[in-house]
Amino acid sequence: MNLLKLTLLAALASGLAGAQEYDPNWQMKPPTDSWPGYHGDYSGRRHSPLTQITPANVEQLGLAWSFQTGESGQLKCSPLLVNGILYITMPDSVWAVDARSGHQLWHYAYPPNKGFHIGHRGVSMYKEWLFFTTPDAHLVSLNAKDGTVRWNVAIADWQKGYWMTMSPMVIRNHVIVGVSGDFDNLSGFLKAIDPETGKTQWRWDSTPPAGTPNATTGGMTWMTGTYDPDLNLLYWGTGNPTPVLNGKVRPGDNFYTCSIVAVNPDTGKLEWAFQPSPHDTHDWDAVETTVLVDAPFGGQARKMLMQTSRNGYFFVLDRTNGKSLLTTPYGPVNWSTGVDEQGRPKPNPNKEPAPDGRLIAPDEGGLTNYRSPSFDPKTGLFIVDAHPSYAIYFAKPADGAFGWAGADYTVWGKGVLDAIDYKTGKIRWTHELGPNGAGAGVLTTESGLIFTGDAMGNVLALNTGDGKTLWHSGTGVPMQSSPITYELDGQQYVVTSSGGVLFSWTLPKSLIAAR
Amino acid sequence: MTIPLTPTLRAFAGLAFFAGTLLFAQAPQSATGESLFVQNCAFCHGRDTGGGETGPDLTRSKLVADDVGGDKIGPVVLNGRQEKGMPRFKLGDQELKDLAAYIHAQKKIAESQKGGRRGVDVSDLQTGNADDGKKYFNGAGKCAGCHSPTGDLAGVAARYQGLKLEERMLYPHGAAANIEVTLTSGEKLAGKVAYQDEFTIGLRDSNGWYHSWPTSSVKFKIDAPADAHAELLAQYSDDDVHNLMAYLQTLR
Repeated sequence: MNLLKLTLLAALASGLAGAQEYDPNWQMKPPTDSWPGYHGDYSGRRHSPLTQITPANVEQLGLAWSFQTGESGQLKCSPLLVNGILYITMPDSVWAVDARSGHQLWHYAYPPNKGFHIGHRGVSMYKEWLFFTTPDAHLVSLNAKDGTVRWNVAIADWQKGYWMTMSPMVIRNHVIVGVSGDFDNLSGFLKAIDPETGKTQWRWDSTPPAGTPNATTGGMTWMTGTYDPDLNLLYWGTGNPTPVLNGKVRPGDNFYTCSIVAVNPDTGKLEWAFQPSPHDTHDWDAVETTVLVDAPFGGQARKMLMQTSRNGYFFVLDRTNGKSLLTTPYGPVNWSTGVDEQGRPKPNPNKEPAPDGRLIAPDEGGLTNYRSPSFDPKTGLFIVDAHPSYAIYFAKPADGAFGWAGADYTVWGKGVLDAIDYKTGKIRWTHELGPNGAGAGVLTTESGLIFTGDAMGNVLALNTGDGKTLWHSGTGVPMQSSPITYELDGQQYVVTSSGGVLFSWTLPKSLIAAR
Repeated sequence: MTIPLTPTLRAFAGLAFFAGTLLFAQAPQSATGESLFVQNCAFCHGRDTGGGETGPDLTRSKLVADDVGGDKIGPVVLNGRQEKGMPRFKLGDQELKDLAAYIHAQKKIAESQKGGRRGVDVSDLQTGNADDGKKYFNGAGKCAGCHSPTGDLAGVAARYQGLKLEERMLYPHGAAANIEVTLTSGEKLAGKVAYQDEFTIGLRDSNGWYHSWPTSSVKFKIDAPADAHAELLAQYSDDDVHNLMAYLQTLR
């Protein structure tokens, strides 16, 4: 055997084995056989270039496989797909699942702990290592091959009231993590962790330390941000101030709560901030996906950031400097007196929670929540699972100034899928999703399809242009996660979850062969 | 999962019990219940059971007040309240008892404290003017088009009080909607809406039987009186709500 043959064989073997070491840069333009980050790519558009499943053939979509976690909890994660292996999570649990067959490769169980077990959004990866956040606010690095623990570091003190649910964001050699903690007056922060050692590289605090006079606490960083490699800026949404419903003890705008911040991922230095909800008193985190879009706006090519915020407003910003391009409600909103010169809604003091109650739109869950929206470049539509709703908000002196500090009750709500024209903020079409609310994330594909779910437990495929239903399947309970898609062996799969079950949908093999 | 108690663990458990009795006046089962509660329930119902994101204050819950050893709490935990967004929880019999014990212990603590409690009292909802509420009822609110103070609303303030009354006034969850379905044969069926999504329509007939059809294969007409409540939500001022509430509270 000569050297050339050996080299060829070696190349073939590595090709066949197929397992490449994970490179964070894949998130700049993900290979179609992967979903290498929480949003797929760094932009947060949740839009796939895949076109095998089309509006014309989607009615033939069927189940490729399903995976049962056997847990009574709900999957709220976005699956990570690398080297043909899907990684999914619940609080205290990670599963590795073969993306072709749906069979389990391994399961990792984190030891029992007293943190909040409210939900989990997924793992992220660097080289051959996974990163998993825990209810007691630790970051665990696992070996992706077998789920064994490599290291485990504390990110925050769970005994003070912090917990973690988020999927870390990996940029080069930075694992960026954020925290949750609404029941105590605590400061939110971002930390960059060294993927090799677990050591903290930098920390950025969203609010001053607890106990600072007249200052707010809060600003939790509980969802995954987005990233612009050209500007080298990390974009992150921060949560509500605390005490949550009592704003009297924290006068002013309460920076940087309910804000979108742009941070240098190498240093943690704040470059700019924009605040969707100044002085929030309704629990409206601004952590919803900060979607990055390069397109014309007002006749000019723009680098934009878009957010459908929990407070009911759609924001378009120039992401180079954080200046507002558009601010407009995308559903019923009754808590502001207009928009200020910076493009921020002005809160109406008469709509702060009161002892005898205030009727507020939207409710505390907001006009949308953490599940992902999607941006479709062809139509210029920003597609979001919306929740038109009303609630009554109460706060009285006896409720104090710590943690929740009031009470609120949803009166009515429903679910709709809204298609927002990013240039005007006008809603081009609305698709009814059922009573109370749906809460599913949204995926769009280049072939002109939307995948999402309704309030009754149906998975839906809609036509992006007009929102008409093209396919559905009942899965028992509503989807509480955001769909992903990938192509393996020439076959496109769409992965959704409902309850504790993961579903993989694909076209019949005969149809693909005939193409 | 049960862990067999080693002598050391037994001693420790005894100590924990002793400390618990002295410091927190808490039964050991409620200490186990606390862990279960914090992990599974606290996000929605608050760490101290006094209400949190989306979930009500359990220390003021009627169901909790009526509960004995988990007999009322248990089924709600196991089955969830899907319509209110509460999921099911898979817990064992002993775990449910421990959880109930913790909730009852918290209820006692809350009741022994003055002030500092969340929740809404009947006395909080007395800021309206009943005469103005009556005017709104008969005028701008168009309530009198469907309701009558001597008919369906006679004695409503005796049936519901405080927050419950206000919530039902704003939107009566679970109110029945009538439906008439016309089959392709021309045959008509009437009943109450029992299920509806984009693809399937279901009704319950007067004999109590459930029927369903693909929405594409029948024609149907739904009369949902509660929809008028949802439409009003965009029109109320807060004063309208408080005045209407004051008026309804006169209907005893």
